[in-house]
Amino acid sequence: MPDEPHRGQWLVADKVSLAFGGLQVLSDISMGLQPGVVTGLIGPNGAGKTSLFNCLSGLYHVKRGEISFAGHALQALGPAQRAALGIARSFQNLALCPELSVLENVLVGLTLKRRSGWFSAFVPTAAQRAEQADAERRAMSALSELGIASAAHQMPSELPPGTLRLAEIARAIVSEPKAILLDEPAAGLNAVETQHLMHALERLMRPDLVLLIVEHDMDLIMQLCQQIYVLNFGKMIASGTPDVIRKHPDVISIYLGDDADD
Amino acid sequence: MVSSNRRWAVVSELAQASNRPIAGQSGRTDLMWLGLLALVALLMLVPLIAGGFLLYSLALCFANALAVLSVSALVRYGGEVSIGHSFFVALGAYTVAIMEHQLGLSVLVSAPIASALGGVAGFVFAFPSRRLSGIYLAVATMALALALPEILIGFEKLTGGFQGLYIALDLIPGVSKPLQRYYVTLAVLGLVCLALAQFRRSPQGMALLMARAQPRAAEAMGITISWARISIFTLSAAIASLAGALLAFSSSTVSPNSFSFWSGVFLLVGSVVSLNGLSLPAAVAGGAFITLVPTYLANAGDWVPILYGTALIAVTLAANAGHLVRFVSDRRR
Repeated sequence: MPDEPHRGQWLVADKVSLAFGGLQVLSDISMGLQPGVVTGLIGPNGAGKTSLFNCLSGLYHVKRGEISFAGHALQALGPAQRAALGIARSFQNLALCPELSVLENVLVGLTLKRRSGWFSAFVPTAAQRAEQADAERRAMSALSELGIASAAHQMPSELPPGTLRLAEIARAIVSEPKAILLDEPAAGLNAVETQHLMHALERLMRPDLVLLIVEHDMDLIMQLCQQIYVLNFGKMIASGTPDVIRKHPDVISIYLGDDADD
Repeated sequence: MVSSNRRWAVVSELAQASNRPIAGQSGRTDLMWLGLLALVALLMLVPLIAGGFLLYSLALCFANALAVLSVSALVRYGGEVSIGHSFFVALGAYTVAIMEHQLGLSVLVSAPIASALGGVAGFVFAFPSRRLSGIYLAVATMALALALPEILIGFEKLTGGFQGLYIALDLIPGVSKPLQRYYVTLAVLGLVCLALAQFRRSPQGMALLMARAQPRAAEAMGITISWARISIFTLSAAIASLAGALLAFSSSTVSPNSFSFWSGVFLLVGSVVSLNGLSLPAAVAGGAFITLVPTYLANAGDWVPILYGTALIAVTLAANAGHLVRFVSDRRR
């Protein structure tokens, strides 16, 4: 692998291992995510994709190995502290607050950037209004970027899953993070919605953004990603460009299932 | 679109602590606006026709409504239930009484201090309990309510022991007692409802709602869950103590009898009756239920608990019937 980790704004996992009790979920996983490259993480069910994802976002603490982002060691940091470093994520099962409108859900993504204090939480002030208007403008532009500005004032219960998924991604991008981790963004979406999502993600990409997508949908990954990692039984079995992955014998055997034990 | 609806926001949240956004519902908002205006006008005019005892009872209602509101805020923003909020109410009430007796200060000065002290006490309680939730937190708050009478009696020199203390100082000199009790409690209740409506749209308020509904997602956005839990408990305790200050002012007396274990439970009952609403009408309904129903049932003797229980079931069912109707019509739509 030509990647040289530990340099620049990279999200790096170095020999990460994770076990739940006696069950080894991840063994010696190493990967380096470059900015400006859409990176995909694939693998069959139970391969450890979401576990690795949760290690990167801070939901799980790794016992062995190191995770770093832009030179900061992440192992000791919780999800909230990682968010403060500029790492945003989405969730596999939709994690919007049902009591907040789509716009408000996206506004919560700006929490760390908000400057209004506790006093103005209760008493409206001119400064607070200006700050609120500015935050709403940013949230609206995130929604427009994903093409769902028209849903801004609706409640999550009134909208289809495709829109909600995009709303969740809008919430992840609104704070202009340095890294975005998307956990199965196409799960539960129909073909049209998946197409829509793919275009939105393409538009989203910036040269300085680290973007990792964990996904089942091979077509989406193959079309969108420049770098792909393949996990199976907690081990990294392949990595490389879509062309390399497509021809990799282990990947073919997993996905075409010519292997007797499933 | 957002800004044109901005001015309706305060009104409609006061009228109905709706969990819906404001935009795009101006028809409904107009109606809520009118309903609320009518309610406020009605409440403002009550003293013209009502006698002293009714005004006294209503002032107690408003003070209790604020206490109910503090429990509802904890339920709505923290997803937690407290049965010990009478502790913070008592703290506020005794702060007002003690400051008058020791320092000669009126409720105008002591109420903000009472609220701040309540916030501090809430923080002191919430910090070690920040990882407790659900039934465990409720039981921990119960300990507060159970310890309270002992504390009040133990510090007899300060608290007046069993007899309690009287509050005699006026807030507005020259205005009759019933009138100032009524209007001061009503005004404070209204202001707190407005402040809570503002809070619902603030970054802090939305962060708390997110932390309650989606704790993992909230953490991924930089919201620390223990921060959220401590914040809402502190806020709720501050409101409860402010309610206690009003209760002391409007009843002119504080004693351990008024802050038994059951008063904490009744606050929760009031919150359930008001459907955990944070609006003025909801709070008044909850406060009225826990204040007026026992008063008017008082001469029923042994039947009081049975009648109270029946009234509670009836009110809860009726209130939820409204919910059910809305639910069904939402489904049809």
